[in-house]
Amino acid sequence: MFENTLFFLSAALCIIGAAGVVFSKNLMHACVLLLASLFGVAGLYAVIGADFLAASQLVIYAGGVVILMLFAVMLTGGSSENSNKFGIEKIPGMGSTKTYVFAGFSVLVISFTILKLMANFMKSYTKGELPAFSSTVEKIGTLLVTDHVLAFEISSILLLGALVGAAVIARPRKG
Amino acid sequence: MSLSINDYLNQFEAHQKAISFISELLGFDASGLITFLVFATAAFVVVNVMALIGGLGTYAERKISADIQLRQGPNRVGPYGLLQFLADGVKMIMKEDIFPAQADRTLFNLAPLLALIGVFATLAVLPFSSGLTLTNLNIGVFYLIGVSSLVGVAVFLGGYSANSKWSMLGGMRGASQIISYEVPVTITILSIVLMSGGLSFGSFVESQGGFPHQWFIFHNPFTFIGFFVFFIGMLAETNRAPFDLPEAESELVSGYHTEYTGMRFGLFALAEYIEVFVLCGVAAAAFLGGYKVPFDLGNGVVFVEKLGLPAIIGKNIGQVLQLGSFLTKTLFLYYVVIWVRWTFPRIRVDQVMTICWKYLTPIALFNLVGITLWVFAFDGQSIWEVLSHMGGGAHGGGH
Amino acid sequence: MTSYTLDVYMPVIILMALAVGLVVVSVFVAQILRPFKPNALKEQAYECGEDPVGTAWSNFNVRFYVVSLIFIVFDVEGALMFPVAAIFRKFVAIGEGAVLVGSLLVFISVLVFGIIYCWSKGDLDWVRSFQLSEDQVNQLKGSEEKA
Repeated sequence: MFENTLFFLSAALCIIGAAGVVFSKNLMHACVLLLASLFGVAGLYAVIGADFLAASQLVIYAGGVVILMLFAVMLTGGSSENSNKFGIEKIPGMGSTKTYVFAGFSVLVISFTILKLMANFMKSYTKGELPAFSSTVEKIGTLLVTDHVLAFEISSILLLGALVGAAVIARPRKG
Repeated sequence: MSLSINDYLNQFEAHQKAISFISELLGFDASGLITFLVFATAAFVVVNVMALIGGLGTYAERKISADIQLRQGPNRVGPYGLLQFLADGVKMIMKEDIFPAQADRTLFNLAPLLALIGVFATLAVLPFSSGLTLTNLNIGVFYLIGVSSLVGVAVFLGGYSANSKWSMLGGMRGASQIISYEVPVTITILSIVLMSGGLSFGSFVESQGGFPHQWFIFHNPFTFIGFFVFFIGMLAETNRAPFDLPEAESELVSGYHTEYTGMRFGLFALAEYIEVFVLCGVAAAAFLGGYKVPFDLGNGVVFVEKLGLPAIIGKNIGQVLQLGSFLTKTLFLYYVVIWVRWTFPRIRVDQVMTICWKYLTPIALFNLVGITLWVFAFDGQSIWEVLSHMGGGAHGGGH
Repeated sequence: MTSYTLDVYMPVIILMALAVGLVVVSVFVAQILRPFKPNALKEQAYECGEDPVGTAWSNFNVRFYVVSLIFIVFDVEGALMFPVAAIFRKFVAIGEGAVLVGSLLVFISVLVFGIIYCWSKGDLDWVRSFQLSEDQVNQLKGSEEKA
């Protein structure tokens, strides 16, 4: 019962957020909707029992990347104007009646095909009991220092590159 | 340590009987419904108590500051002015809500909501006692770091949406300060995870003992430094003085909530006071032994064996003792936070960043390395155990 | 490693719903009780009595962006190190602690190297020195004199 609630809440948050990001013309609103979408993804991870991944999603994306994006938007001065100094719209509209009608039809056709293909599978599918989950933290930790220790160490080099790169691009250019 | 408050209740026969009785009454398996009701009731109670503590926090803040500055403080509403926060709440509800004309209305409404969601969600893993923990998630502390970062987004959006220069500056400062100080705090928590061997608050507390020498703060010299790194980082993350630059009244009027009036401002203030309590609770759980009571009184076995009480009563007496222990430590830290606010002058914005990146982060990294080596070298023993072994060795092995 | 069901996330959802409920109820109650007489002067952004000039949404300094970039690097580092830290005690207990100490120290030292680099180059300073070097000053002086 609660599994379904959690799943549908997360999925709705995820899809509504993602759709909002696309449809919103205001950059700040898009960022906040993206935050909602990322929260939804974290919820989906939690539903499939990947608890550590869900928390990482919250810490890195909701906490770090969204704030980075907000600051990046502020570099350009927020969304006070929708057109730049040449009078060109910063976020041009992508849809007209023609494109929406075309997109609507293609969605119908594609989803019908996919559902037709999945019909056999769906008919034979019976919902089983959810297994009892156990924490993934220790499994991930064990894998990180045994099988994937090289990836673990190399990722630190990647992070070093990101750190140095972040510092270098923001340095005042002399001359 | 039970997984959640529901699991704690499930171990009692009376609870099981109640579930089966209600199931028969309703004609379907009511265990899911009961679980929901237990969680909802507990969450509701916790939220209300937290709101009360947040309200009393504003009162304590004014009373303690008055003490420090040789003033009276609030003393008109209720005995000793205790009901001042209720009067303030009523005032805030009755105040006119003003939307700045140029504001981004959606985000202006959303910002206090995000702050409150972020703070309330952290309450889910706060270990009040071994039974009264709403849920002891396996990823507890990591989850807490994740959801509390919503507060940073809320501070930024609160500053941005008002479209006022003071708010904007306060919001930018606030968000950058919150995320900066998250780095030393996260690294310090990492070293606690290293020692306790788990991310849940249950494992934090269970690997400590009731007496001060069993607490992680006195476990080894590195954790002693680590506690102060955590405490300073915590002050900065909650925008408390001396790190209250986002709302520095002498330069930014009121920072990111300059344009907020009435209840919206009240919600921001409530979120801030509850967040201070939550982070004090985290500090108490991670460094000061959390809900542990000396002599193992907390699990209630003693009451059952010595006094001959029934198991259910003995256990619950233990829970109350644990709750008292946790609240004492947390409220003591809360007092220190207020004390610090009225003692130190505010520091400059460049000094804030210098303290974070040039002092706290390197110290926290040094601590992490030190604790790694300590746990490896001494097999996780505390400095007292190591010293007693050494002393014992010198005197010819007196075990 | 204890097993759990998804019920453990129930309080999280309930608490978030309570937060939303609190905001909605308090704002709604306030809406009924409070006066509402807006005028143009009240709705102005507060600027200590002056008429506000322009919008507050202007281009901000790049250093806020840099701080958040560095923060993300440390965030990811934390996310990678938390699971390793969580199993540290167990590995020490079975006598394999040296492997973990080694890999953790390598991981941390690479990042410490990054911090030392940024520090020595002055990237951690909040107030950056934009002073030109002597050669550049002389160059500029030379070009001014020519003009």
